[in-house]
Amino acid sequence: MSGLGATFGRGAMTNHFSDFKNADVILTIGSNNAENHPVTMAWVQEARAKGGKYVVVDPRFTRSAALADMYAPLRSGTDIAFFGGLIKYIIDNELWQKSYVENYTNAAFLVKPSFAFDDATGLFTGWDDEAKAYKGVDTWKYEVEKEEPWDTSATGPYAWTQAPGVPEFTPLVNKVAKKDATLQAPNTVFQLMKKHYERYTPEMVSRITGTPVEKLLEVYETFASTGAPEKSGTILYAMGQTQHTYGSQNVRAMGVVQLLLGNIGVAGGGINALRGEANVQGSTDIGALFHILPAYLATPVASKHPTLRAWLEAETVANGYWSNKPKFFVSQLKEIYGPYATAENDYAYDMLPKLNAKNHSHIGIFESISEGIVKGMLCWGQNPAVGGPNATFAREMMAKLDWLVAVDLWETETAGFWKAPGVDSASIQTEVYLLPAAAHYEKQGTVANSGRWIQWRYKAVDAPGEAKDDFEIMHELYKKLVEKYTADGGANPEQITKLHWPYETDGHADITKVAQGMNGYTIADGKLVKNFAALKADGTTASGVWIFSGYYNNNDAPGDPSQQPTGSRGKEDPGGLGLFPKWAFSWPANRRVIYNRASCDPQGKPWNPERVLVEWDGTKWVNNDVPDFVFQVVAPDGTATPTPPNTKAFIMNPEMGGRLWAGGAAMKDGPFPEHYEPFESPVDNLLNGRNTNPALTFGSAESVKPGSADKYPIVCTTYRVTEHWQTGGMTRNIPWLAEAMPKMFCEISEELGAEKGIANGDQVRVFNERGSIEMVAMVTPRFKPFNIDGKTVHQMGMPWHWGYAGGHSTGAIANDLTPNVGDANSSIPEYKAYLVNIEKA
Amino acid sequence: MAENAILYDASKCSACKGCQVQCKQWNMLPSSLGKDDNEYTGSYQSKSDLDGDTRLLIEFREKEADTGIEWAFSRRACYHCTNAACADVCPVGAITKSADGVVNLDASKCVGCKYCTAACPFSVPKYREQFNVSNKCTLCNDRIAQGREPACVQTCPADALSFGPRDQVVDAGKARVAELKTAGYERAELYGEKEMGGMHVLTVAKFGLEAHGLVRDPKRGDAVDAFSIIKPLAGVGVAGVIGALGLSFLTAVGYKQPQLSLEEASEEEN
Repeated sequence: MSGLGATFGRGAMTNHFSDFKNADVILTIGSNNAENHPVTMAWVQEARAKGGKYVVVDPRFTRSAALADMYAPLRSGTDIAFFGGLIKYIIDNELWQKSYVENYTNAAFLVKPSFAFDDATGLFTGWDDEAKAYKGVDTWKYEVEKEEPWDTSATGPYAWTQAPGVPEFTPLVNKVAKKDATLQAPNTVFQLMKKHYERYTPEMVSRITGTPVEKLLEVYETFASTGAPEKSGTILYAMGQTQHTYGSQNVRAMGVVQLLLGNIGVAGGGINALRGEANVQGSTDIGALFHILPAYLATPVASKHPTLRAWLEAETVANGYWSNKPKFFVSQLKEIYGPYATAENDYAYDMLPKLNAKNHSHIGIFESISEGIVKGMLCWGQNPAVGGPNATFAREMMAKLDWLVAVDLWETETAGFWKAPGVDSASIQTEVYLLPAAAHYEKQGTVANSGRWIQWRYKAVDAPGEAKDDFEIMHELYKKLVEKYTADGGANPEQITKLHWPYETDGHADITKVAQGMNGYTIADGKLVKNFAALKADGTTASGVWIFSGYYNNNDAPGDPSQQPTGSRGKEDPGGLGLFPKWAFSWPANRRVIYNRASCDPQGKPWNPERVLVEWDGTKWVNNDVPDFVFQVVAPDGTATPTPPNTKAFIMNPEMGGRLWAGGAAMKDGPFPEHYEPFESPVDNLLNGRNTNPALTFGSAESVKPGSADKYPIVCTTYRVTEHWQTGGMTRNIPWLAEAMPKMFCEISEELGAEKGIANGDQVRVFNERGSIEMVAMVTPRFKPFNIDGKTVHQMGMPWHWGYAGGHSTGAIANDLTPNVGDANSSIPEYKAYLVNIEKA
Repeated sequence: MAENAILYDASKCSACKGCQVQCKQWNMLPSSLGKDDNEYTGSYQSKSDLDGDTRLLIEFREKEADTGIEWAFSRRACYHCTNAACADVCPVGAITKSADGVVNLDASKCVGCKYCTAACPFSVPKYREQFNVSNKCTLCNDRIAQGREPACVQTCPADALSFGPRDQVVDAGKARVAELKTAGYERAELYGEKEMGGMHVLTVAKFGLEAHGLVRDPKRGDAVDAFSIIKPLAGVGVAGVIGALGLSFLTAVGYKQPQLSLEEASEEEN
């Protein structure tokens, strides 16, 4: 998410599943889509039937690899080396799409000459060793050509900032960067990039990744062929890219490749984040994260954003669509606090919780329990006793809580953490409550899939027993809290008592009212707004999730989801590209392929006339998809004037282009992706003088217990299998699925088996400083040892679906071994590369 | 009535086992309700073979070749043979062939004599102890009667399973094999066009029949034909007589279970 946003402007999959059929090359790396997203194969096979190539790069020969036209092995955690080599290959062989790169990226922008990367230290300029962070990032900026203050005059584009009710903040200044259209100046982004990746030769990359040079070049040649203007290549990725201490930079690296090849914004292209759960995109969109509010607005930080004014000045972007951020934020505050939020009290901004200096991501919560700060926990549809990193530590921390409430379909390992093998439950004082929840077919509401389609799902059956819809549970909890705070007071009761909660009908929780609040409405008449263009910063509109706006906007039937865009089920497919514009609603504004301006040349002619998303016919834009750019200007009287083609293809970025170099505060660990080794690695970094990402998070926490390569020489990774789902609650409790993959296992190569005297089916012990677990060994030729810089490095892997709870299939918890260290930007844990040892049990 | 058939394209199959689970769901066949009592097969395969509660099983066979790993997936279930030995030996008429190619097993008529298991060159029908009957795929003829596809076909996310008129299925299978050969899979073959008089489940075998565990030139045992001649004369009563002789005389030449349990696998290695 953070890598995508920093590159293109939105943290979302660019295309969607049915678009895969349009690709000339599909590269799966860091995902195992045939196993974990089986439905994707329908479109992958459609692409192949038309001559498309399916390329799989993975440490292990997976079921995806079995179906691929080309497979290449790669050591876990070396993706940036792999992509850095591809960037160099594309530049060296002149395979980049020139017109696209020149017009739709920041290639021509001039960076401050003081910006540099030092390969001796492995650091970019601006590193503060004491703070363990990049602090002086003023070198990570463009040279400024001119400054354009916002025109806030009555006829200017920013007149809205002066309207009554709009919170006061200093209008911004758009700093227009200097450019060199020839791309020749040494401090153009293009030249800096060329220099940065000079070190990533195929030989060097092969020494790091373990991919044989000839395989590497075969994959590079195949994928780089999509740099031809009429060709498109897509990258499918998942947790194999993100769950690293440089996971966001892995995604950035893919972004750079795709921009160079002109593969963003086109049908059959894109960077496609295959989400791990049906509604992960939706959960991210509605801000189920510690550091963002709904719809990608920053959670206020006490030191940085003490006031609404400070927030608006720091977070609003001077150019591009994010210059409208005050409209979205004020509308959100109006939805959260309703009538209590007024211009006079800064729309109740003070009531919003603020972050302090502590990192309260998943890992941080357990650190805070250990420090005695967090005393109670609501675990809602989460099973950190199995699913979180260093799960033994997580379970130990749960035992320190005063209370724990688990809301789930089953008694998970978390709900029954005190029942873990070897635990003395008599010594645990935590009060545990388990609230039975309804499953997805027992409630209604929306799910936003990987491709951003927000689809309404209807309730099919009543939940059994006392199980309740999550929203009903939340609603009752809200009512109790208000009652309690009203009666007893407290430190700051208004945070709860003044919440705006109109989400009920006849006293019962009503999710369709939440949908209306997320879509947005004008406060005076309560009418749903057509889309986010209608939102205002003056307190007259409310919208909880501005990016969703338009998904639930039919005022004729506000209580009927089937009459709303999210409930629409039309099967028309103009252009035959699988866009299906009338099937549900795709945020933003029902655009199916975002950044689709880039599917045409600067004159508005599609790069590929067979795959038309939008097209300028000489007088107006003709569209199969909803344009993701300014394509017309509508006058107050309703007359629309078409906007002739320009090169503003990435409207969410102030540059209006995609970012090959992501400066400013976009990334916490450098404007260019640079290879570092995983937190635990058996080898030293060959590309620069620093082994691990300097800005990774939680590296010095005592609980991490790092293991050294001499004791734990084997690289291990975790993954999922088709037959099970996440921590297994929903599959290990179903006899058919428990039978489908009945045992926890680890996969090792025949060579490692021979070295350790382990045969297929033997019971083995896998261990490191964090834990020791036992399971059956699957010895297979599908794993092969890697040759890393002349040294044999073994890699193994195991699924993380098992635990001690459940009726039909139990087994060891893989995450007892994974390290609780996090990515520099998102703090996502490094589940995908760490060290272990193995022996026969 | 036109003959129908399923095409299983192993080169498109991702071995997700959706078909395997959906088969159990539609046909209301159970899995164990016990705790941790399923076996480990040595691979991703769910169990070592079909059983009384399992009509369809995705099989995994892996091998290292010069060109890389050959991971061959197979769909083990009844092939609905034209020359169905099981139907010929069934002494009570529980197994019947219909004009559309389905070899049906009517559990309400079955007496659990296991002749069908012994006669089948693929050892497909399995004894279901709890009900004292044989059990096997019926091609979801209940669904077909309603104009629907078999459950396994409907659930396949990768279009590896398709269902339609048999002549079209044969053509599609041949075309796919030709495509695979062009793409470099020289040993690709279509299975089921002629075998056993023509099957109603055809397989595109990406790496050749043997790699997928498919029986080349399957044959009915000689006794099957002899038995099918005397059966109508003797009627049901013959079951007890022949049953006393044991089942081995019916056994066909055919399916060998390759590496289906760890024990067998290690024996082969030794």
